[in-house]
Amino acid sequence: MKFVLGACIVILTVMVAGAVFFVVPPAEGLGNLVRIAFLHIPAAWVSVIAFFMSAWWAAAYLRRGNIRDDARSFSSARLGFVFTLLATVSGAVFSKLTWGAYWNWDPRQTTILVLLLIYGAYLTLRAAMEEYNRRARVSAVYSLFSFLTVPFLVFIVPRLFFSLHPTPVLNGSGSVDMDPVMLVTLFAAAADATLIYIWLLLKSSRKEEKI
Amino acid sequence: MKMIVFEEVDKSFGGRKVLRNLSAVCCGGQITSVVGPNGCGKSTFLKLAGHFMLPDSGRVTIKEEDMVLQGEELRMSLAYMSPELRFYPRLTALENLSFFLGLRGIALDGRQYEEVLERVGILPEAVKRTRVGEFSTGMRQRLLFCVMLASKADIWLLDEPGANLDDEGRAMVLREIKRGASEQKLILLATNDSRERGAADEAIDLSGN
Amino acid sequence: MKPSTFQGIKLVLRKELMTGLRFRAAWAAMLMFSFTSLVCISFALGGTSAEPKLFAALLWILLFFSSLAGSDRVFSDEEAEGTLMALRVYAPSQAVLFGKMLYEFFVLTVITVLLLPLFIVFLGVETKEILLLLCTVGAGLWGISAAGTLLSALIVGAGVRSGLFSVLMLPVILPVFLPAIRLTEAAFGGTVVSLSFFGGIVLYDMILSVAASILFDYLWYAE
Repeated sequence: MKFVLGACIVILTVMVAGAVFFVVPPAEGLGNLVRIAFLHIPAAWVSVIAFFMSAWWAAAYLRRGNIRDDARSFSSARLGFVFTLLATVSGAVFSKLTWGAYWNWDPRQTTILVLLLIYGAYLTLRAAMEEYNRRARVSAVYSLFSFLTVPFLVFIVPRLFFSLHPTPVLNGSGSVDMDPVMLVTLFAAAADATLIYIWLLLKSSRKEEKI
Repeated sequence: MKMIVFEEVDKSFGGRKVLRNLSAVCCGGQITSVVGPNGCGKSTFLKLAGHFMLPDSGRVTIKEEDMVLQGEELRMSLAYMSPELRFYPRLTALENLSFFLGLRGIALDGRQYEEVLERVGILPEAVKRTRVGEFSTGMRQRLLFCVMLASKADIWLLDEPGANLDDEGRAMVLREIKRGASEQKLILLATNDSRERGAADEAIDLSGN
Repeated sequence: MKPSTFQGIKLVLRKELMTGLRFRAAWAAMLMFSFTSLVCISFALGGTSAEPKLFAALLWILLFFSSLAGSDRVFSDEEAEGTLMALRVYAPSQAVLFGKMLYEFFVLTVITVLLLPLFIVFLGVETKEILLLLCTVGAGLWGISAAGTLLSALIVGAGVRSGLFSVLMLPVILPVFLPAIRLTEAAFGGTVVSLSFFGGIVLYDMILSVAASILFDYLWYAE
């Protein structure tokens, strides 16, 4: 099972990397910089997924009290933190090269910054708690409590800050205005990143349980 | 009648196993003493019993008939006393009393206060003006005992109730514990005092653990 | 035998008020902290006039840090004095949470009532919409006390305390913080702003309070 997953990841990663560097055409107006997006968008995607999963397992821990759920919640948050950092840094570089500044207070930049803050706070809280039962409970509570900011991020932030981001790939009208090759590569990259997340999660939560 | 059941409980602190594979049953109407040398886990046993702490593995449950008590319902039916427990030093003894009893929905009138204070050997004048911060340790211990008696809790978890008390105080503790048992209370008594140990119906010895 | 939750809340609130009033040093420290921060801002600006937006931001930073000086002590004072265990044994969770939340709101209101006029006078801010300002501040303090009370319960037993509280607080309170700055800016005569921001804060305050109420049980009856 683990072997199959690992093999899938290797094959997919090679394919995606090949597509990104040799197949995808330079985008109009962005040139070769568009290739950063294939790191940036999947990383951002996994950041959000990891955040949801962490809260999900936090709720499961509070409901059932199984320490295994706490280990999963923690592993997911830790991975989420790394992916959020990746997304933020790649986004800032892309932003500097295309829009002229590393930081623009774009809604999605702001959102990911808040996500980074929450992950950072969660990990700090965990590091500060010594007794492991209490640590599990306290971090689960914080995970769920900080989750409340998510609807706010979605609804209020876009009204406070102007966006430079292109409209979502799948926009309201249902039409897709993107090169089909790029679109397929992007989805493959997102799937690849998700698989990597799952693989790392399985690995680290198993290690966490042993402690 | 209430029951506390320990099933194969393990508990360790920082790698040191305090309780190992412990199973025990404590019943209402009985005084169960928890004995053993310092550091053998008596206080831990009491905290586990009151659900103030989780075991590493195994289960601790409090049952009434066949119903398992949990959360608020459980908390509101127990009283706990230990040398770590303190009342608000900036409130007078009477304010402390009426606060903690009020939280359990109990309001005593003047006569009832006098009666319960007399039982634990505190002068009623002392509670009105004196802040708990100015009380001696023995008096504080008596005050803790007083709240426990008046709280009408069915489960008493007593960690060294005789600590810091004079002979007369220890005799009072012994008398009230026996009276509690006759009122069908479940009494867990962690102690090193031989007279208190002698009053127990059952004993749980943690020294071999 | 169980008291009504309302009665329990009243008892806890009264207890907090009594212990608070008899502990003047804590009040003095909190008030002087806020006052010092205000003077600090005032000196830093040195009488230069600034945009309403900057004033609004400064006011909320001031309120945020003043509240931190009080909020993180909600439970840790009890922990330090050893009374937390007694409270855990005898008090139902909701009475403790809401009693303390109301007290926290009271403390913050007192600080703000003293601080806000000084802020306006010292910095020479023109207040165009007093009602909007007061409502915004009130809604903001509600959110801060709701989140602060729960988070203060979280850090009981933490090895590192200093700084941890503000780290935990900021992401949770941002949904109050950002719209409140916009509204305050409008009250100081800046841009016109949609009142839906105010509705948003109040809605979020309610969500915070309900969530705190649900989650606090897991902390109080940790079993």
